[in-house]
Amino acid sequence: MVSKTDEAQVNRLENQVDNGGGGAWEYLCLVRKLKLRRSDKVLKHGLSILNDPKKRSSLGPDEWTLYEQVAIAAMDCQCLDVAKDCIKTLQKRFLESKRVGRLEAMLLEAKGSWAEAEKAYTSLLEDNPFDQVIHKRRAAMAKAQGNILGAIEWLNKYLEIFMADHDAWRELAEIYVSLQMYKQAAFCYEELILSQPTNPLYHLAYADVLYTLGGLENIQAAKKYYASTVDLTGGKNTRALLGICLCTSAMGQLTKGRNKEDKESPELQILAATALERDYKQRAPTKLSLLTSTLRSLKL
Amino acid sequence: MGGEFRYQIGQNAYIKFVLHALKHKTSAVNGVLLGRLSGADTNPVVEITDSVPLFHSQIGLLPPLEIALIQIEEYYGAQGLNIVGYYHANERFDDFELGNVAKNVGDHIYRYFPQAAVLLLDNKKLGALPNGKDRSPVIQVILIWDRTPKTMFSYTLPFLHAKATKLYTREMSKSWKVVGSDGSSQLTIKEPSANIVLLDYISSEKWQDIIDFDDHLDDISKDWLNPELFK
Repeated sequence: MVSKTDEAQVNRLENQVDNGGGGAWEYLCLVRKLKLRRSDKVLKHGLSILNDPKKRSSLGPDEWTLYEQVAIAAMDCQCLDVAKDCIKTLQKRFLESKRVGRLEAMLLEAKGSWAEAEKAYTSLLEDNPFDQVIHKRRAAMAKAQGNILGAIEWLNKYLEIFMADHDAWRELAEIYVSLQMYKQAAFCYEELILSQPTNPLYHLAYADVLYTLGGLENIQAAKKYYASTVDLTGGKNTRALLGICLCTSAMGQLTKGRNKEDKESPELQILAATALERDYKQRAPTKLSLLTSTLRSLKL
Repeated sequence: MGGEFRYQIGQNAYIKFVLHALKHKTSAVNGVLLGRLSGADTNPVVEITDSVPLFHSQIGLLPPLEIALIQIEEYYGAQGLNIVGYYHANERFDDFELGNVAKNVGDHIYRYFPQAAVLLLDNKKLGALPNGKDRSPVIQVILIWDRTPKTMFSYTLPFLHAKATKLYTREMSKSWKVVGSDGSSQLTIKEPSANIVLLDYISSEKWQDIIDFDDHLDDISKDWLNPELFK
């Protein structure tokens, strides 16, 4: 995940480079460091360096890193000729390199030659069974072919070996959500919360999944995780505040006519509603009346 | 035979959802269509006058959707407009199936508006849009899934290559199925110039300005009504 300051810096640099203010190399380094996907810009500005022999040689050994970066960006933009040229240059420089071999396999994948790419990846994995990138490419390739269940299988196999890979757990959770397999998605978010208990985004996503699953117990749990999201974000997360209101409203409906002891005290919802109204008043005054009527309709 | 409805999309509604899909090229997007039923009983038309872009991440989750629908109904209800349909663009480029999430949202809207249409945007045509070399018509296929029996259609928008059209009908059973190919003019754009205006918006990279409900929930100062877009 990218912090707000990092993002602001990237955007500023991107703007500067776009308008001919220089700094292309710094921009490309930052994109690489933050692992951003801005392929069209990387392709454009990366090529402008690679096509200028003076600029290119001034990079020293970093020149090869740039070839790799531009090759991947070009594949993402379906500029396969550019990717091919970059990979060829790297092949000449690094004979028998596994890292270049990976790029060659990715080029096959980008072309849609699935069987050949699969073969290339398999042989690369035989040499190095713990190459995480290749394991992930296989899952991505299954997804690209519309074989979602295959992608799930690859990801699960991968996670058996690399249990600490958060991004992979997230990807798996999102695939499950898209297939409406909410119980499985909830499991993934439980893993993520266990490994990073202070990351509010996982609490929030877990709460959303629990609420979607429905039923009194799940909604009660969802409310707790919305509350912990509010706690971890210092009350700044709109989704979590609204989530608390939704949960209270749903629980009110589910426990209608039951004993008083079963019912929750309304304090939390009142606090959440107040915080929401304050935020909207400050930052989105034109939407305040809509928010107020939304909250009214949730109070039953 | 019931359900012979015509659908007419206003230019702004159309441009908004195409731009929304273009902005989030790598993920599925969805949104709702607003409008009203008009015309006499003999010639009913569903007029789609506006659209609201909803989400571009985690489309299958309920809480943000519930909040969005409450606010949208509240806002447009005051103007006498209803939610009359739903649009969806798939994550994968070559995926032409309407997923279960989209069907469920469609089913929900259908309960309140039986003539509801579900449009599935054709990613391939969308991808080709920005590269449109000339000003000739943009090819843009939209499928309409209609819950009334025997009227699930796939339409092309006007002036299009008829080859890409498919006719879908819903069988009397509860499943949704593709049954054949046919061109049809049951879905039209109100303003004939819509595609030209759209190309203009695309070439000036206007899609970067479109704001959906996801963006609003992340930063409430962003307005999901997109009041600045057509200025």
